[in-house]
Amino acid sequence: MSPDRGLGIVFLIVSASYTGAAMLINEPSGQYTVIGPRLVPLVIGVVWIACSLWIVIGPKDRTGLSAVEWSVVCPSALAFLVYILAFERVGYLVATAVFIAVESSLLGSRNWRRDVIVSIGITVSVYIVFGLLLGLRLPEGFLG
Amino acid sequence: MTALSPLLGNHLADGFASALEPLNLLFGLVGVTAGTAIGVLPGIGPALAISMLLPVTFGMDPVGAFILFGGIYYGAMYGGSTTSILVKMPGEASSVVTALDGFEMARRGRAGAALATAAIGSFIAGTFATVMLMVLAPALVELALEFGPTEYFALMALALTSVGGLSGGSGLKGLVAILGGLALGTIGIDVQTGQPRFTFGVPGLLGGISVVIATVGLFAVGEVFWFAATSQATRTRSLAVAAGVKLNRQDWRRSIPAWLRGTVIGFFVGVLPGAGATVASFLSYTVERRMAARPEVFGKGAIEGVAGPEAANNASAGGSLVPLLALGVPGSGTTAVMLAAFQMYGLQPGPLLFTQNSHLVWSLIASLYVSNVLLLVLNLPMIRVWVRLLQIPRPLLFAAVLAFATLGVYSLNNNIFDVGLTYGLGVVGFFMRRHNIPLAPTILAVVLGPLLEQEFRRSISISGGDLTVFLTRPVSAAILGTVVLVAIYPAVKRLVEERRWL
Repeated sequence: MSPDRGLGIVFLIVSASYTGAAMLINEPSGQYTVIGPRLVPLVIGVVWIACSLWIVIGPKDRTGLSAVEWSVVCPSALAFLVYILAFERVGYLVATAVFIAVESSLLGSRNWRRDVIVSIGITVSVYIVFGLLLGLRLPEGFLG
Repeated sequence: MTALSPLLGNHLADGFASALEPLNLLFGLVGVTAGTAIGVLPGIGPALAISMLLPVTFGMDPVGAFILFGGIYYGAMYGGSTTSILVKMPGEASSVVTALDGFEMARRGRAGAALATAAIGSFIAGTFATVMLMVLAPALVELALEFGPTEYFALMALALTSVGGLSGGSGLKGLVAILGGLALGTIGIDVQTGQPRFTFGVPGLLGGISVVIATVGLFAVGEVFWFAATSQATRTRSLAVAAGVKLNRQDWRRSIPAWLRGTVIGFFVGVLPGAGATVASFLSYTVERRMAARPEVFGKGAIEGVAGPEAANNASAGGSLVPLLALGVPGSGTTAVMLAAFQMYGLQPGPLLFTQNSHLVWSLIASLYVSNVLLLVLNLPMIRVWVRLLQIPRPLLFAAVLAFATLGVYSLNNNIFDVGLTYGLGVVGFFMRRHNIPLAPTILAVVLGPLLEQEFRRSISISGGDLTVFLTRPVSAAILGTVVLVAIYPAVKRLVEERRWL
């Protein structure tokens, strides 16, 4: 199966679900507008389904896909997910400092000491500028 | 025009008075510095930078915020060329074509001349484009006073169609990118009837998907994952800037016509919805090569091949502000995010903005002149400082981008749900990059989709359910005719090429 055909199938599932959900939109009964909230999403959905079908059954795209190093993508995506989940609980300062250091090493940096110093530096200076000077509310976590 | 002129003078004087206030000057300086850095660094562009700053500028005075954004936009156009010339890797998409001859010049020890022609050309183009913006935008406003929802619908449809068709690659993928963005834009409460759509009882979705979330997710998060997937080993080695950053007499003689042509091309391409800086720079390069006395030197370090495109991409930035400010119709990713910024402050660009918020408009325009001067001063003598930015280790830079993206999105509503949504869109952005689906049309569709729908429904309401209203009003019919031409152009072109018609 060509890569774009797989993509087309994914699009087909997404666009069909979108269209299905669009049909469930409640049309208000009063006639105060000519076109209700359902029509435009339905049109988008139907055109989207047509495009997805064309990707699946249409002429094959000759361009291949570039190689992806999943062994780098997956761990760094996972680390980012953990960071998001920890952001409120652990607090901005600790979570961010740890995350930047860990993520840079996952992305291929090999200089631990520098990464740790820089990540603490970035975290603290962002905290001072945005948290203290511009008054952004950052989660404090267990430091609060 | 004569009746307008004294008024224009007053407005401009007011604008300069505001742009030169110490605090606003500081915002301008921060903007151009950040913009140049963003331009120099590959992987982050002005659309992303402005959207990450949207939440944190929420509490600011809008005048200061827009001076900051304007500085970032112009600065990024300047900075992009530096990376193209010295590393052969464009800092921005709009500087791809600059790498062709710029890098060749640098390899021949003429990096200084290449950087100088890019910087001076950018200054001339940026200044000219701002003058044209100042003249053209109010004129367009006069015209737009006649526009109703029908015309706005047609204009927005044109912007979407052309950004989809011109963003390169297959038209089908551009269309899919637009549809995805439109679908994202329909999420949330329908403003005309108050009906929730696609919210599935999730309170975080009622307000719709913010442009900040879409941009940061698709560009920042998707980009970092894409970097992780592909360019592990890419170590940027920058060429040295041997001689000073200056031009000799022959360089001047060859650059000046290229700058002027690039400026005119860039400005008008920028005004067109959907075309933007990348198209402008490619078009300018083609024109320069066609007009050159010795086209064979192109690709081997022709200074015109740097001067023209760099002038063109700067002029297009100014040009793209014309439809944004005068009509409220953005034509590129960056101006789409700027439209979102206006909406965040409760402002609607378009004719009303010029009458009700003329102070803001003219401060922004005046600040663009100031930014241009600041950029020239920052760029010519300080080029070595900018080059050092390229030594920032890429993993560290991208990890910090992720952290800053999280911070920006979180501070929208102090809600971790938004960050999760951004993450999800980041995964989508990653796979879009993998399958060569352009991202800019999606962003534009997220912003324009809801407006497009409102204008459509309003037109139909006014006409009492008559769909032909779009074709019976001449301006809307003409624009929609153009939409059809733009939409079928790629298919016709392919047919002509394959069957060798003509």
